[in-house]
Amino acid sequence: MSTVANDTERQQRIRRTAIVLGLVALAFYAGFIAMGVLNS
Amino acid sequence: MSATTTHDEHHDDHGPGKGIMRWITTTNHKDIGTLYLFFALAMLFVGGAMSLVIRAELFQPGLQFVNPDFFNQMTTMHALIMVFGMIMPAFVGFANWMVPMMIGAPDMALPRLNNWSFWILPFAGTMLLSTLFMDGGGPASGWTLYPPLVLQTGNALPFAIFAVHLLGVSSIMGAINIIVTIMNMRAPGMTLMKMPLFVWTWLITAYLLIAVMPVLAGGVTMLLTDAFFGTSFFNAAGGGDPVLFQHIFWFFGHPEVYIIILPAFGIVSQVIPTFSRKPLFGHDSMVYATASIAFLSFIVWAHHMFTVGMPLAGQLFFMLSTMLIAVPTGVKVFNWTSTMWKGSLSFETPMLFALAFLFLFTIGGFSGLMLAIVPADFQYHDSYFVVAHFHYVLVPGALFGAIAGAYYWMPKWTGHMYDETLGKVHFWLSAIFVNVLFFPQHFLGLAGMPRRIPDYATQFADFNAISSIGAFGFGFSQLLLVYIVFKCIRGGKKATDQVWDGAEGLEWTVPSPAPYHTFEEAPEVR
Repeated sequence: MSTVANDTERQQRIRRTAIVLGLVALAFYAGFIAMGVLNS
Repeated sequence: MSATTTHDEHHDDHGPGKGIMRWITTTNHKDIGTLYLFFALAMLFVGGAMSLVIRAELFQPGLQFVNPDFFNQMTTMHALIMVFGMIMPAFVGFANWMVPMMIGAPDMALPRLNNWSFWILPFAGTMLLSTLFMDGGGPASGWTLYPPLVLQTGNALPFAIFAVHLLGVSSIMGAINIIVTIMNMRAPGMTLMKMPLFVWTWLITAYLLIAVMPVLAGGVTMLLTDAFFGTSFFNAAGGGDPVLFQHIFWFFGHPEVYIIILPAFGIVSQVIPTFSRKPLFGHDSMVYATASIAFLSFIVWAHHMFTVGMPLAGQLFFMLSTMLIAVPTGVKVFNWTSTMWKGSLSFETPMLFALAFLFLFTIGGFSGLMLAIVPADFQYHDSYFVVAHFHYVLVPGALFGAIAGAYYWMPKWTGHMYDETLGKVHFWLSAIFVNVLFFPQHFLGLAGMPRRIPDYATQFADFNAISSIGAFGFGFSQLLLVYIVFKCIRGGKKATDQVWDGAEGLEWTVPSPAPYHTFEEAPEVR
């Protein structure tokens, strides 16, 4: 299916995508609290 | 395959583990899908039992069985359990089972995270249910958790908020896993526009989840700090604004509606072509329509808040943007209908549920358009008309979509055909009783009966009695589903690989039941 290089590359892509998506989720969480702080 | 050992080769020589540890430690997408589906089935009956408490109390005017505070706890917990504990996990279960098989991947991209995503759920669900037994009872403010009402909850408040956080974390982890899997694990040749509609709808749903679940988490965190740490986010006396919570909640809450319904759209888009023996009409336009619905879902939230008061420009914007959603939704209904046009139709149980979905979800969509009209909404708001509207969307909409998917893929999961006669009996009982249950609620709402009350004026008695009869009929009909599922697991006519003669896609190329590991060697998609 894949060479070792491709497999490693894919694992890196998977890790990178997951971290970016996790950071997006965190940004929405913190962002809306920050909006609440600025509003109150 | 390279001569060097790769991740895939580690899987070749082992099957499922033994006993209870198989289910606790599993990282296999099929096992985890099964866990999600059984958890959702159990929660269907927990949340369903709560709805029967509600409908038993409302069978006649006056207070019969429960006190008003417990009634309010039931309406709140019924909604929270059904949304976060039942329908969302059910669709994540479908995604776990089917997405890897549909895109030709050996498993989800992050199998350990997948295990965590599931096993958080039973703890969060138990914690949420345990609040009913705490001093002061569970939350009784409705699932919207509006302050200041929700801040009157007793000891249960922090537990309920923590449970909501955990349910959100589970959903976000599941969503990350689905996106990462679809973006990185597709078989060669499986381009994005070749992906089946179920995979597409889940990809878009997962993006919605990542965008809005943290917003709910932020909102309830602020509730927590208002209750215990002296902040005044939503306390007018301290300079805050309770309406801010409503904005935050519905910025999450409206996309949440589409998080629930889009995977059902995906399932129906698989089922209708199969039993019409034709390819889906307008595959690409279905993808664009789904993406349009998802985008629009972010700019309509305040239609839930017209009666709070807002500038005329705001009312017009949210009314018109809401109505705009009818356009891509209409594209979908048109495409499903066109798929059936001149098709070689047959009406097995999955198709029956998909057709009921098509008719009855559209009724829910139309009543949604009525609610989008600002001056009309001032009359309908917080009435039983709203209850009828969203239950038409969520029960014969989302739940029927899930049931259609269960019957459609059950032979692939178990290796046996389910009992078709019993399936049809289940369908007709469900389709009749769901209308007996919810259709009269339109009339109740139009006549002025408010929602979330345990008692009502005698003028509403007849329609309430009919609705309650429908509720018990619908609830007990679902026991038949449990019987059919377990009967199918235990045995039955052997299912072929393709199962349905009109079925197309990678998932139908593997044996039935699907082996523990599929697509270790990626298939070539042309």
